[in-house]
Amino acid sequence: MKKLLVCALCAAMVVPAFSVSVSADSKELVLYTWENMFPQEVLDGFEEETGIKVVYSNFDTDENMLEKLSMAKGGDYDVVVADDYIIETAIQEGLVEKLDTSKLSGWDNINPLYQGQFYDPNDEYTAPYGAGIPLIVYDPDMVDIDIKGYGDLWDESLEDSIALTANYRVINGITNLALGQDFNDQNLDDIAKTGKKLLELAPNVRLIQDDNTQDSLLNGEASVAFLYTSQVTAALQENPDLKVVYPEEGLGFGVMGMFIPSEAPDKDEAYQFMDYILQPENAAKCFDYIGYYCTNKAADSLLENQNLVVPDSVTEGSAVENISAEAEEAYNKNWTEFKAACD
Amino acid sequence: MKKKNSKLSGFYLGLIFVLMYLPIAVVIVFSFNESKLPVRFTGFSLKWYQELIHDDAMLEALGNSLFLGVISCFVSAVIGTLGAVGLSRIHWKTKGILEYISILPLMIPEIILGMVLMAFFYMMNLPFGMLTLLIGHTVFCVPYILMEVKARLAGMDPSLEEAARDLGAGPFRAFWDIILPLIMPAVMSGSLLAFAMSMDDVVISIFINGPRLATLPIKVYTQIKTGVTPEVNALCTIMLVFTVLILFVYTMIGKVTKGNNKNS
Amino acid sequence: MKKQKSGSVWMILPLYIFTLIFVAGPLLYMVALSFAQPKAGHGVEWIFTLDNYRKILDPVYMKTFTGSFQLAVTSTLIICLLGYPFGYFMAKLSDKWKKRAMIFLMLPFWVNSLIRLYGWMIILQTKGLLNHVLKSLGLIEKPLRILYSYPAIVIGMTYVLLPFMILSVYSSAEKLDWSLVEAARDLGASPMKAFWTVSFKLTLPGLLSGVILTFIPSMGLFFIADILGGNKIVLVGSLIQEQMTKGNNWPFAAALAVVLMVLTTLMIMLYRKITNAKELEGVG
Repeated sequence: MKKLLVCALCAAMVVPAFSVSVSADSKELVLYTWENMFPQEVLDGFEEETGIKVVYSNFDTDENMLEKLSMAKGGDYDVVVADDYIIETAIQEGLVEKLDTSKLSGWDNINPLYQGQFYDPNDEYTAPYGAGIPLIVYDPDMVDIDIKGYGDLWDESLEDSIALTANYRVINGITNLALGQDFNDQNLDDIAKTGKKLLELAPNVRLIQDDNTQDSLLNGEASVAFLYTSQVTAALQENPDLKVVYPEEGLGFGVMGMFIPSEAPDKDEAYQFMDYILQPENAAKCFDYIGYYCTNKAADSLLENQNLVVPDSVTEGSAVENISAEAEEAYNKNWTEFKAACD
Repeated sequence: MKKKNSKLSGFYLGLIFVLMYLPIAVVIVFSFNESKLPVRFTGFSLKWYQELIHDDAMLEALGNSLFLGVISCFVSAVIGTLGAVGLSRIHWKTKGILEYISILPLMIPEIILGMVLMAFFYMMNLPFGMLTLLIGHTVFCVPYILMEVKARLAGMDPSLEEAARDLGAGPFRAFWDIILPLIMPAVMSGSLLAFAMSMDDVVISIFINGPRLATLPIKVYTQIKTGVTPEVNALCTIMLVFTVLILFVYTMIGKVTKGNNKNS
Repeated sequence: MKKQKSGSVWMILPLYIFTLIFVAGPLLYMVALSFAQPKAGHGVEWIFTLDNYRKILDPVYMKTFTGSFQLAVTSTLIICLLGYPFGYFMAKLSDKWKKRAMIFLMLPFWVNSLIRLYGWMIILQTKGLLNHVLKSLGLIEKPLRILYSYPAIVIGMTYVLLPFMILSVYSSAEKLDWSLVEAARDLGASPMKAFWTVSFKLTLPGLLSGVILTFIPSMGLFFIADILGGNKIVLVGSLIQEQMTKGNNWPFAAALAVVLMVLTTLMIMLYRKITNAKELEGVG
């Protein structure tokens, strides 16, 4: 027993020797976002050009990010990339710095389609970093029917074969669309109907998962999947025979935004980073890497994957917007009930 | 009769061990897989190991985790062992409550512990970083050691200590010379467990880590969430090989020194 | 005599201070939080309310409690059945093999538990190892769909928590005085009788602490339900996690946690009673 502990300690002492130590005197920038949102190549390029080291810090959900940021009172982090609706809340709480666009030479490269969105109507706080539309993707070899919209997901032939993403607002939202209701419907009676409809979907659901949902389609666990854009891209790369459906009832839509927290310790560096990402060559590399729709007009032609250039009609989709606490709670309850019924 | 029994139990132990190692073996095998998807083995490749070596962030996270595990484990071992022995000697009225509260971290969902610790550190104005991680990990490491040591003490013959006292040993001497060696196995197994838990904790760490700090489990967790590359498989394989190697070297050294002792 | 006591006080002091500040403090905060109101959008409003507790009584949420409880009972039972003999047999091994078994038992801890679960995912998936083997043996024709089902979660829970049971049983079986068993045998007890009256009774504390170490986490291990269960089964742990990270309702999450804590405390008190009763029986 004693030996074991000694061994454990030895292992603990030896291994760190292999880790690379970071010099503390160089300039740093704390980038706060999900894992795998920037290709290493671009981050290295930025360090090479400016001498600023990027410290990549992760969160797993938007809400976690907001919590941490508000605890730090808008400090600690220099650049944040997160989802639209959470940015709206962050702006309301005064955690976001107003951008000085004169410091951003690449500002005009932004595709105006993605500007003036609900969360930042006057483009004072954010620069978009990728947009997405969740879509239905299916394997035609395994599905007998022709899927055209959300409504088809309720088809009996799809028993135990659908993979869903796990954002409860989005799933409630598309059920709303299937019922002909508004994506962000706030009427409590309507929401009760949505809940009922969702329960009918339960027998068809194979799994609910937010990450790598496309894998289930590729490895045969599911034959139909409702996927985020990056997942659609990844799925098609592995298996081009999959069919993508733009649901006829209407589209969901989301933008990710890049912002500087109000008390960011290294604001100058943050501006430099943002501007670097706004340059077309760098932006193209980023979007090819993350697989979200390109929000940088100047980068469109440089993309290797031209599927990431989207038609203008995209922004007509509905985004998840902040709703009343009662409605949110009702949706939440729908979701819990739905998940319990899936088993 | 006896032989048959031991064969049967040996078979049982072996079977469970096989099941225990099966998923690990699968993970190791797929670390050498060419394809990113863990469905079919498409060909032998070392490319994920190459990628790992160039992943500074991952290696830094590993270093952080080991540091955190060793320190918090050591602090917990001291607090937990002294506490368990103290508890067995003292008969205060608050004893039962204290004991209950101190093992509470095992009884509540990690996510709640993470949440309350975060709020609490914020209230105390502690900067989030290694310090908060150390405190947080110590919180959930202490109970493991406390429980193990307590269980060991409960089965111990109290006359041993009394005998030591009768022979004139002070309480500290009695503790150091008699009790500690007896409870050492429990301290060790508790510490090992605590260390492993610390190396494995995601949920609590995510709440209380600082902006510039990531531990290995956090890194792995976010990777699993956003797309496992076999790089993670590769890292696990390397860590396992390392542990086995160190164990091996250690036993070899042990054998050699033992041999020498015998000779002299 | 006086000196001896002051020595013990010093020993216990670090535990007292640490526990009061870093365990009791934060937990009291959680209890306070459970009586507060969620602010629309984000944050907490400190207005007293019992709504959070009232909400738990809603059948939707009650069901998660009973469901979690069921799962925890199932997993713990299986873990007991598998782990108790293991720990017991292990304690009977020769010293050399004991050490080896201990090493084998501890090694998997060096592989992150998420990764190990991921390994199970690879094995259990429809086109995975298990189905492949069963098919080539001709045992099944259509692949089994175990992944993303209830059994998969039970497998995951059992797998992650089994070592705790084993270690706990082992540590109490190891200090078992085997001469007592022999004495019982010499006095004419059958092997079974000797086991139940002596070995089992003396290793019961180990088994019970193992139960505590496995039952309680199994109520809160939400990521197993996520990874192996396809996120379809709502456990109290997942509900708390969802309320906190997605639903933005910290007070409700805190209320759920308080209820969970009270339930587990009651269980532990029950165990204490059982073990104490057993001890008394032994004395009498």
